[in-house]
Amino acid sequence: MNQYTYFFGCVIPNRYPGVEYAVRWVCGKEGFNLDVTDQPDFSCCPVPGIFYSTDKDTWLLLAARNLTLAQNERREILTVCNGCLASLLKATEYLQEPKNLGKVNRVLAQIGKKYTGIAKKQAEGKRKIIEPVKVRHYVEVMSNDVGIEEIAKKVKRPLKNVNVAVHYGCHYLRPTEHATFDDPNNPVLIDRIVEACGAKSVDYEDKLDCCGAGGGVRSHVIELANALTADKCTNISAVKADCIVTGCPFCLLQFDNAQKSFTKEGIPVMHISQLQALAMGVKPESMGFDTHQVPVHSLLRKLRGS
Amino acid sequence: MTREVEKTFIGGLHEELVEDKVIDESQLEPDFPDQIRKYGGKDVMTCLQCGNCTGVCPISLKIDYKTRNIIKCCQFGLKKYTLGTRWVCATCYRCYEHCPADLNPAEVMIALRHIAVREGIIPPFIKNTAASLVKYGQSVKPDAEIDKIRQEIGLGKIRAEDPEYASVIREIGVLIHATKYDKLIGIHEEVKQ
Repeated sequence: MNQYTYFFGCVIPNRYPGVEYAVRWVCGKEGFNLDVTDQPDFSCCPVPGIFYSTDKDTWLLLAARNLTLAQNERREILTVCNGCLASLLKATEYLQEPKNLGKVNRVLAQIGKKYTGIAKKQAEGKRKIIEPVKVRHYVEVMSNDVGIEEIAKKVKRPLKNVNVAVHYGCHYLRPTEHATFDDPNNPVLIDRIVEACGAKSVDYEDKLDCCGAGGGVRSHVIELANALTADKCTNISAVKADCIVTGCPFCLLQFDNAQKSFTKEGIPVMHISQLQALAMGVKPESMGFDTHQVPVHSLLRKLRGS
Repeated sequence: MTREVEKTFIGGLHEELVEDKVIDESQLEPDFPDQIRKYGGKDVMTCLQCGNCTGVCPISLKIDYKTRNIIKCCQFGLKKYTLGTRWVCATCYRCYEHCPADLNPAEVMIALRHIAVREGIIPPFIKNTAASLVKYGQSVKPDAEIDKIRQEIGLGKIRAEDPEYASVIREIGVLIHATKYDKLIGIHEEVKQ
């Protein structure tokens, strides 16, 4: 069985604690009982739109610091955010280059850390193989390690009659050289989890489009970010979806906050883990929906009816 | 997208090209493609100007920012025409997926951002987020209301508040200081040593 360590990042603990609750519940004893621990010394991944964009050396150092913490415990990093996934995964690839690795370790020595990767045992006489620290996405772990059938088995309250618009988010899919666990041109994993929960995943136009928030656009030109979100929401309303489900808390934040700039009645947004937790019988009150800007009442009413 | 927003955030490219009309050699920086390569972009000279990147770019559909034009300016070394346009890329990497020359325009935009901050063009959000990281270890500022909700649903307090987390913040300070990022962005006063 794989061993993981949680990496919640910044948006979830500080803006959407309900997602943290749902992930802990789904992975915990009452859920799939995964072997997963907390690493209290993780920092921001760091956020690619800021650090990868302005100084790659600093970005790599901060990411390597996080990676060493998981490496020392020989655990896989379980991210719940597309940004953390992109940032940390790219960092492990950079660190496979001896030149980058040497440069990073010279600075990490100042704080008593060293990135080595994880040594794999080999048959005698063969060279030791060093593998990068594994960085996994929650959706990938759920689909591949837990399995869609298992997910369906644990569903206590199937979300009948609920139409879900799935939004994957850019860094889940692209660039393709990094994300290999799903088809970037026709991703299916989140849809499958949604269907396993008993809900219906509805197709809509431009499903793979960007939410608009990434790369610092939300922070820099919020009108532009919101205009992209408005387009997505128009397409999602057209198919009468009851809620938007995403695997990325930053997309969640964008959909949740942007909607009030162009519509009065927004479409509820939640993380895939929250949808799973609802289907597995967790009480909605304990899932911190109060922190969501678009109320989820309409969806919960529909659930009670079903 | 309103004209106002376009003017504020990406103004320069369209208007200036029309106004100046004639671009003489003094405006060209022949080593601009090399600078882009230095910061991790691929060789912009390989761009075929096919426009696939622009056709799939969600931002190009909305405002007067056209990925292909920016790459063209990079090829010519027209550095000043790329100023101010480089922060609107959402780094969605669609251009990369559709680029027949395997140029990865998104990485070119990222290289342009590297050049911009080194020329002192630093949007406030970069500074604020970096300052938040050196202060709290998180790029999102902790919020007292959220902390209350965390405790109501049985989650622990946010780590940034924990005295034991101070050692992590100190480590981040050391790393940021080592690359001189604090000076580059102008947050050296916030960095604890």
